[in-house]
Amino acid sequence: MSENIIVKVEDLTMAYHDKPVLWDNDVNIIENTRTAIIGPNGAGKSTLLKGILGLQKTLSGTVEIMGKSVKQVHKKIAYIPQSNSVNWDFPTTALDVVLMGRYVHLGWIKRPGKKDIEIAKNALYKMGMQDYAKRQISQLSGGQKQRVFIARAIAQNAEIYFMDEPLAGVDKNTEKVIIDFLKDSQKQGKTSIVIHHDLNTLADYFDYLVILNKRIIAQGKMSKTLTQANLDAADMGGGFKINV
Amino acid sequence: MSSIVFEKIISLNFANLLNAIGLDFEILSSYTFVVVCLGTMILATVAGMVGTITVLKGQSLIGDAIGHSSYPGIIIAFMICMSLDSVSLMIGAIISGTVAFIIIQFIDKNSKLNLDAVLAVILSAFFGLGMVLKSFIQGHPVYGKVPQGGLSNYIFGQAAFIRTIDVHLILIVAIPSLLILFLFYKEFKIFIFDEVYAKSIGLSSTLMYVLLVLITMSVIATGLKLVGAILISSFLIVPGITALQWSNRFSHVLIIAAIVGSVSAFIGTYISSVYAGMSTGPCIIVVMSGLAFISMFISPKGLLANWLRRRKYLNDLSKSIFD
Repeated sequence: MSENIIVKVEDLTMAYHDKPVLWDNDVNIIENTRTAIIGPNGAGKSTLLKGILGLQKTLSGTVEIMGKSVKQVHKKIAYIPQSNSVNWDFPTTALDVVLMGRYVHLGWIKRPGKKDIEIAKNALYKMGMQDYAKRQISQLSGGQKQRVFIARAIAQNAEIYFMDEPLAGVDKNTEKVIIDFLKDSQKQGKTSIVIHHDLNTLADYFDYLVILNKRIIAQGKMSKTLTQANLDAADMGGGFKINV
Repeated sequence: MSSIVFEKIISLNFANLLNAIGLDFEILSSYTFVVVCLGTMILATVAGMVGTITVLKGQSLIGDAIGHSSYPGIIIAFMICMSLDSVSLMIGAIISGTVAFIIIQFIDKNSKLNLDAVLAVILSAFFGLGMVLKSFIQGHPVYGKVPQGGLSNYIFGQAAFIRTIDVHLILIVAIPSLLILFLFYKEFKIFIFDEVYAKSIGLSSTLMYVLLVLITMSVIATGLKLVGAILISSFLIVPGITALQWSNRFSHVLIIAAIVGSVSAFIGTYISSVYAGMSTGPCIIVVMSGLAFISMFISPKGLLANWLRRRKYLNDLSKSIFD
């Protein structure tokens, strides 16, 4: 398999207010991988994703996705934000949320049609959430909410998934559904970039790894990158021993 | 027996029918009532829908701040034009409301103060400035010559004095505002629910904010003469809060808010027309708030329903433990 770079980040520096969060980072995400981003708290993982997606100001650096700028590839990238960024009091149903995945294809003003509803229903079905289509979003459990957001990404039919801690606060069953989804997507030629926090499951769930602590510590194939030395270098080695 | 009642109802003409349900036909058909009622109903309908968005976006108090902050603009517009012309005063209100909004955003972005503190400071500073200017021109040799009795109407509102031109102004603002809401319904929805995702698919949140502030500002500016700088924010906030108690669908919430607004406007205007000395704006707001309180209590998401649900849950729990 040739290693195509699908997301290319060069010299990325970002700051939050006056504090620099990311310094001069080069990141290469390889096409058709399940890439995990790990790092200690405050390492700038979410900031990195937001910088790549153009959601937060960057001080310097360039980002290319499939050889283009982010603004040219909105349809091809699906972002699944951390669940605390969502307005849970908003009156809407699970199906409605999934339908939002179709908005990028509709453009301004146009409303979703029958075909979009069909796609949304299918996406809910893939996540095992078809029985909850009419349910108010705030009445769902943490795991169910996360499945709805993944269903939205499915409905968007993107090539690259960016996920910010999708496994945080979800039940075991949902965790399996999400990981199966990532593996299926890979079989269909898609790429996932996922912020992950559990070192125990890291090597089972993902095949590529980026270790970040304000700077890139290491990146590449999981087997070569997940080493004790790299974890120690990122201040993540404490208490955790690699047993390969 | 029932056929007699039926015949009797048929024989009643429309006026009597209204009288029979307790409404005074004489008042309902008077020109003043029709103008005031149309004005307040259209305003309350649009304000209710626009306000629902600000409520859901967690920015209810910004409407309040803009309302208060528009007052000095009215006085300054009067000082420049030396007349009580509705249009120029409205433009003054919009300019000063916009300046206040920009200052609020600037301080909020560049300081560590909480938004509510910033709002409170700007709100009182602007409104205070308005009051200072008003007392300054009252005894002034130049401005004092022009009749300025209408200026205090913009504090508490004086719906009874609105004329056809004011209703036209309300319509000019209401129609484009509703059109924006209708056209960008989908965009507003995703902007309120998940702003980060909205940005990730290329929807400019700055543009959405500008649209939202634009329609909020124009609703406030047209509503000032009817309801006044102090109470206008309740036209924006209360119908939305009421509607959110009754539905889990955004489209339904918007429609309910519009209905709550217009029904309150009708009842409030009617009450103020029947009983001498009752101001229209405050009457409408009392009716609106009454509906909001009732909804908080008896709606499907209200206190009563919550209490019943909890009791049922505890009953089921104790049953399952003891069985």
